Amino acid sequence: MPRSLGITSLQILAAVRAGDAYGLDIVTRTGLPSGTVYPTLGRLKRSGLVRSRWEDQRAADREGRPRRKYYELTGDGVKALEAGAGRVAGLAESLGLRVEGAR
Amino acid sequence: MKLERLLIRAAAALVPPSRRQEWLEEWESELAALDRARAAGARDVPGQLSFAVGALPHAVWTRTEGWTLDGLLQDVKYSVRVLGLSPGFTLVAALTLALGIGANASIFSLVNGLLLRSPAAIHAPERLIQIARSYETDPRWDNWSWPALGLIRDQAEAFTGVAGYTAQSFTLGTGADTERVLGEEVTGDYFEVLGVRPLVGRLLHPTDDVEPGAHRVTVLSHALWTRLYGGDPSVVGQTIPIGSAPYEIVGVAPEGFAGVEAIGTPPALWVPAMQNPGFHGDLPFAQWGWSWIQAFGRMKDGVTFDEALASMDVVTARLRDADPVNEQILIRLTQGVGLDPEGRREARTLAGILALVVGVVLLLTCTNVANLCLARAAGRRTEIGVRRALGAGRRRLIQQLMAESLVLAGFASLIAVPVVLSADRFLPMLFPYTLSVPVGADGRVLLFLAAVGIVAGLLFGAAPAWTAARSDVLGALKEGGTTGGRTRTRLRDVLVASQLALSVALVASAALLGRSLMNATSANPGFDPTGLAIGVLDIESTRRYDDETSLDLLDRVVRAVEQVPGVRHATVANSTPIVGGHARATMQPLGREDVELETEYNIVGPGYFETLGIPILRGRTLAGIHDEPVRVVAVNESLAKLFWPGEDPIGQQLAGNPPWTVVGVVGDVQMRSLRSPAQPGVYFPAEHASASMVLHARGQGGRTPDGEAIRAAVAGADPGIPLRISDLRQGVAASMGETRTIGYLVGAFALLALVLAAVGLYGLVSFGASERTREMGIRIALGARPQSLRRLILGRGLGIALLGIGAGVVFSLGLGHAIQGLLFDVAPHDPWALALASVVLLGTASVAAWMPARRAGRVDATVSLRD
Repeated sequence: MPRSLGITSLQILAAVRAGDAYGLDIVTRTGLPSGTVYPTLGRLKRSGLVRSRWEDQRAADREGRPRRKYYELTGDGVKALEAGAGRVAGLAESLGLRVEGAR
Repeated sequence: MKLERLLIRAAAALVPPSRRQEWLEEWESELAALDRARAAGARDVPGQLSFAVGALPHAVWTRTEGWTLDGLLQDVKYSVRVLGLSPGFTLVAALTLALGIGANASIFSLVNGLLLRSPAAIHAPERLIQIARSYETDPRWDNWSWPALGLIRDQAEAFTGVAGYTAQSFTLGTGADTERVLGEEVTGDYFEVLGVRPLVGRLLHPTDDVEPGAHRVTVLSHALWTRLYGGDPSVVGQTIPIGSAPYEIVGVAPEGFAGVEAIGTPPALWVPAMQNPGFHGDLPFAQWGWSWIQAFGRMKDGVTFDEALASMDVVTARLRDADPVNEQILIRLTQGVGLDPEGRREARTLAGILALVVGVVLLLTCTNVANLCLARAAGRRTEIGVRRALGAGRRRLIQQLMAESLVLAGFASLIAVPVVLSADRFLPMLFPYTLSVPVGADGRVLLFLAAVGIVAGLLFGAAPAWTAARSDVLGALKEGGTTGGRTRTRLRDVLVASQLALSVALVASAALLGRSLMNATSANPGFDPTGLAIGVLDIESTRRYDDETSLDLLDRVVRAVEQVPGVRHATVANSTPIVGGHARATMQPLGREDVELETEYNIVGPGYFETLGIPILRGRTLAGIHDEPVRVVAVNESLAKLFWPGEDPIGQQLAGNPPWTVVGVVGDVQMRSLRSPAQPGVYFPAEHASASMVLHARGQGGRTPDGEAIRAAVAGADPGIPLRISDLRQGVAASMGETRTIGYLVGAFALLALVLAAVGLYGLVSFGASERTREMGIRIALGARPQSLRRLILGRGLGIALLGIGAGVVFSLGLGHAIQGLLFDVAPHDPWALALASVVLLGTASVAAWMPARRAGRVDATVSLRD
C-alpha cells in the first residue's frame, strides 16, 4: 500500500471506477487538466492501483475510430480509493462539513 | 498538420523509444475521441490545444519515470569532481556562461518591473482604466480639460470613480534654501480611486479640491518625508513652503507609491489640482479647450472592460453636446496603469530589442563553451573510451555528460545571481528614461534565471554529449590516435563559423546604431542647437509678479543676458524644440468654419527666430515684448501651406477674439523629437508670459555661452529666480538616448563577440595544425616550402571565417530589421555597415588564423617526425 493518496489521485481513481474509462473520459469527469491526469494515471499504474488494457481492434473498427486504452481499478485500487474517501470524509467531518455520498 | 497533432509528435520525441509507439497511439486515440466529442456538440470537454498541451508533462514524466535519485546524485557528484579537476576550464566556461545568463536575466528583470509587475501600494491595479481624449479624424492619446473630466466623472456609470493628475514642478523652501522637486497636482479623489492608504496622517479627499486656490494642503512621498524630516510622524499638521506659500502637510503616502506612471521621476509630493497656483487664475478650470489633466478610473465590481468601453458611448455624446470644441471627440480606454498604449508599445519594442541582443549573447557564450567542451573532450577521449570498454552504455554516457554540462550551467547561474540581484542599481543607468518603478530582481526573475541556466546547459551540453556518444572505443584507446576526432572537428568548424556569424551581426548592428547617432547629431531639425544655452526661468515660484510685471521682468532679463560677453542673441519662449515639450491648441483660419486643426504653438520673445537659427521665409520677425500691441503671429511653412494653399499668408488672419494677423512665415521645426517630423505651428509674441518661460541664449561663433555669467545676469534682474542652465545641443543628443544606450550595449557585446570568435578560431586552427604536425614534417621532408604550409593552415581558417561571415551577413539583415525603430536616417541593410562588419571580422579572423599558420611554417621536419 502506498502512502495516503492526494485528492487528485482520489478524484482520478473515482473517475476510473465509474467504468469504461479512457483518458479523455477521466479528464472530462474530473475537470482536471490533461497534463495532470496522464502522469497521475502512470503513477497509479506503477503503484498497482490501476491497470490499462487496449480495447479490441475490431470493436474500434466497428465504430470507425482508433482503438482506445481503457483504465480500470485493481483490487488494491478499490481499497485505496475507499480508504482515501474515508479519510476525506473524516477530514470534512472534523471541519464540520457535511459530505454527501462519500461512503 | 494541426497544431495539436504537431505538439504531440514533438512531445513524443521525449518518450523513451521502447514506449514511444504505444504512447503516441494512446494520445492519437484520445485526440480522435475529443474531436468526435466536440463534433457531437459536447460542451464540457476541453479545447484540443489545451488538451494536447498535457502531452508534454506526460512525456516528461514517462521519460523520467525510471530515473532514480541515486543515479542522478552519483552523476552530479562525479560531475563536480571532474569539473574540479580542471579548475581553469571550469572557471572560464562558467564566467562566460554567467555573462550570457546574467545579461538575459537582467533584461528580464527590466521587463518584469516595467510590464509584468503590479505597481506598488495601488489596490487591484488591473481594475484601473486609463481614459484618454482622441478625435475621429485625428487619433491620439491626450489629456482632458477640467470641465471634460468633471463631465466624465459624473456620467461614467461603469466606474466607481474617475480621477485626474498632472505632473508639475514645485519650489520647496524659501530664500536661498530652495530646491525644485517634481510632484503632481491631483483631483481630490485621486488616492481614493487608486485605493492607496496613508502611511501617516491622511491622504487628499474630494473636499480638498473644491475651490480654486483655497486648499493649501499637501501629501508627501515617503522618500521626501524621509529625506526632509527623517521619517518623523509628527510632521502632520506642520507647514512646508511650496512656491513661497505655506502648505499644511496632511499625510505621507506609503513607501514605494510612485503615482501611476512607470516612467519619469517619481512624484515627491501631491497637492490638490484646484490649488494650481499660477497666473491663469480660474481659467484652467473653466475652459473646455484647455486640456491639461490626465484621467483614469476604476471599474465597478463585476463590470468588464468591454462593458466599460461600451458605457463610454453615452459619455462621448454628452461631451459632444457640451461644447463645440468636442465636436469630433472620442474616448479611448486602456486597461491598467503605468504606461500609455504608446509607451507600452515602445517599452515592448525596446525590451524586444534588448532581449534579442542578450539572446544572441547567450547563444554566443553557449557556442563558445560548447567549443571549449569539445576541445576538452579531445583530451578525455581515453577516459571515455575506457568507460565504454568497461560497459557504460551510450545512454549512460550521454546522461553523465549532460549532467556535467548542467552542473557547469548551475555553477554559472550561481555566479550570475549577485549580478542580477544588483540589477536595480545598474539597469536604470542603461535605460534611457528615469524609471519610477523598481526593476530589481524578485522570485520571478530568479526563476527565469534558473530556466535560462538550464536551457544554456542543454544547449552547449548537446554537442559534446553527441560526439562522445558517437566516438568508437578502439580508436579512442589507441594511444596517440588522431582519427576519432573527425566529427568533432567538423562540429567545431560549424560552431566557430556560427560564432563568427553572430559576431558579424552584432558588429553590423553596432555600426548601424553608431551611424544613426552620427546622423542624428548632424541632422537639421529646423533650428541650430549648437551654441545654445537654455534655462527655465521659474518666475512663478517667487510669487512676486503678476502678468504685467512678469513681462517687465522678462524684458529686463533678456536685455541683461544680451549684455553678457560671448552672447550674441538672447530671448525667452514658452517651450524649446525637442527637449522642452510642446504646447498645442486648436487653430482656424478666420471665416473658414470648415477648416480646423490642432497645431503646435509657442509663445516667443523678441528675436526668437534669430536666436534659435530658424529661417524667416516671408514677412518679418516678432518684435520685443512690449512692441507688439496688435494681435500678430508668425506661422510656420507647413501651417501656411495647409491653411492658405497658393495664397500669400502674410496679412491672413487666424480666428480669435480679436483675430490674429499673420506677419511672418518661418521654417518648420521638429518640436517633439528628431524622429518625428515637423508639425504645423503658430508663434505668438510674448504678450502673455506663461508660468515658466525658458531663457534661450546663443553664443558667438558656435560656442555655448557661459552658464555662470548668464546666471549672474539673471540674478542682477532678480536674485530670487531659480535657474539651471544647460546646453541645448546636449539635450538634443540626449533625446536619442535609446539609440545611444542600445548602441553602447550592442557595441560592447560586439567587441566581446569579436574576442570570443577570434579565440575560438585561433583555438580551432591551432588544434588542427598541431594534429597535423607529423604530416607537416613529412611534407617538409619531401620538399614543401614553409609558405605553402602556412597557406594550407591559413586557408583552412579563412575558409571557416568566410563561411561564418557569409552567414553573418544574412543574419545581420534580420537583426538590422529588428532594431529599425532605433535607426535614424540609415537603412537596416545599410551596405556600409555590412561591409564594415565583414572587413572587421575578416581582419580579426586573419590575425587569429595567421598565428598558428606562422608556427606551422616553422615546423622542423626532424623534430616532428621523431616525436
